[in-house]
Amino acid sequence: MSSQGDAAAEQDSDAVGPCTETDVTIGDIITVTIGATVPTGFEHTAAEEVKEKIGVDARISKDRGRIYFPITTDKLFQVHLLRSVDNLFVVVEEFDHYQFKQSKEDTLMELQQLASKLPWTNALEVWKQNGALKKKKSHRRGGNTTKVKPNNEAGDEVVADSEQQEQSEVLTAAEGQSKPEGTPDSETREQEAQEAAPEAKVIKFRVTCSRAGDKHSFSSNEAARDFGGAVQEFFQWKADMTKFDIEVLLNIHNEEVVIGIALTEESLHRRNISHFGPTTLRSTLCYGMLRLCKPQASDIILDPMCGTGAIPLEGAIEFNSAFYIAGDNNDMAVNRTVNNICHIQKRRADKGSHPGLPIDTVRWDLSNLPIRTSSVDIIITDMPFGKRMGSKKKNWDLYPSCLREMARVCRPGSGKAVLLTQDKKCFSKAISRMGGLWRKLHTVWVNVGGLHAGVYLLKRTTAVFGQTPEDVYESQGKVDDKDDSQHS
Amino acid sequence: MKLLTHNMLTSHVKGVTKGYPLLIKATAVKVNEVEFNPQFVSRMIPKLEWGVLVQAADWLGQREDLPAELVSDYEKNDDFLKKVHRVLLEVEVIEGCLQCPESGREFPISKGIPNMLLNEDEV
Repeated sequence: MSSQGDAAAEQDSDAVGPCTETDVTIGDIITVTIGATVPTGFEHTAAEEVKEKIGVDARISKDRGRIYFPITTDKLFQVHLLRSVDNLFVVVEEFDHYQFKQSKEDTLMELQQLASKLPWTNALEVWKQNGALKKKKSHRRGGNTTKVKPNNEAGDEVVADSEQQEQSEVLTAAEGQSKPEGTPDSETREQEAQEAAPEAKVIKFRVTCSRAGDKHSFSSNEAARDFGGAVQEFFQWKADMTKFDIEVLLNIHNEEVVIGIALTEESLHRRNISHFGPTTLRSTLCYGMLRLCKPQASDIILDPMCGTGAIPLEGAIEFNSAFYIAGDNNDMAVNRTVNNICHIQKRRADKGSHPGLPIDTVRWDLSNLPIRTSSVDIIITDMPFGKRMGSKKKNWDLYPSCLREMARVCRPGSGKAVLLTQDKKCFSKAISRMGGLWRKLHTVWVNVGGLHAGVYLLKRTTAVFGQTPEDVYESQGKVDDKDDSQHS
Repeated sequence: MKLLTHNMLTSHVKGVTKGYPLLIKATAVKVNEVEFNPQFVSRMIPKLEWGVLVQAADWLGQREDLPAELVSDYEKNDDFLKKVHRVLLEVEVIEGCLQCPESGREFPISKGIPNMLLNEDEV
């Protein structure tokens, strides 16, 4: 970015302005920090993927669903190959212990001043290079109309963030921006900007602020508005909430402040699913669950409650040397799964690659699976939480019976199960009675749409099904389950 | 329904002891190209009921020259693995039904999806 005289003049003397970094020329390889939002709880899984695919160590912002890692611009395309990340951004500046002023006015004033002091140059260069990479990606995506995307994206953003962090508000200066936009000399400034910008048009931007923490005197809305106003002033960009070219992120978590520029237009978790159901899992979370069970070549992998097929579909694409059978008892769910599979296959055919995926769909009852005993390597599923799907009461019958049936079809000694549920109490009770058939290896606590849920990794014991005391015990237990006092 | 899936499916009607393999009565069959992965096929073969796979392919007229008995050293035989790959993953039953060999119960296949749900009195 070219420096702008008047803006630079406004800087404080101790500022680190954009002028100081003009030595970076376009095309040079620079190193920047990339930030990524990931499903909360799967930060380590994401870091593992970064290590594996990019070969660098990621810094984990624990329990906040964020990781950070360094990358050189020549390898920038690799960040778009990551499957465990929802959104990517390049870090402009980060403050671990930002000292917010006491009063709201002072704090907001300082945020305004901050805009002109930040080292934007490298981040903007990365944003520029990313444009080409990102475009290719959206082209590949095909299928969906581009018009729908921004709307989806904006809507999703609000939902996702407000669900994930209760204290945060997302906003981007919807009303606030209208004021500075109308400044009298905006026309001449636009012209200047046009000369400066290689695209020969005014860059449109928005600021998205997410804030979490209870010691702040201001709202995310106010922060985005004032910071956004200063960014606009500094760069002479034009604010546009929906058709923006550049999205500046202002993430505030207690006293940690990170300023970034978004590198993804829509969250990558939407990559596979075209036909959404009532409780569709994010593809990124599906990926994390799949990684937990480490699919091997020729593994038979079952999702007995597939819903939209999000998990097996992600598997069939990313871990494609295994075979997936997706099933559900609901005909709408089964149809959605088939539609989602067809959609991906069509996309692949359009790209000229082999369209078929190692996946099949069957309609079945999970407590009575039409599958040979001891023939499945991995069972992976999102169990009904008992909120939007099913009920907590039904779960007391469902969980034990499906854990038993899963144990029957799973290969003794080597079979695994990765199960996601929010009904932790019911699950723990059910699994504690299955000690002879299942052993709990590991639990990952995740945040699913604001609900605290567990991903349980289970290993099938060597016991042959039908010969363990659990089978007998369980059939007695089932009678106990009829007693409602246990359920509440 | 791919034949690999058929190889896994069994009848689960109450009281049935020999519900495997399910008979295939196909009215529409499609071949859908899938990328060939020799490792996938050679590691899958030991998990299969070989005879059932060959029979299923035969029912659909897709057997070609697959042998009734599994050949030895198939791991290095790409030609053979490709044929197995084809019947495992590429041949799909789109319309028809599966029939329980013992009870005769039929499970319809529609748009490639077998419906294996049972009525309450069959569970």
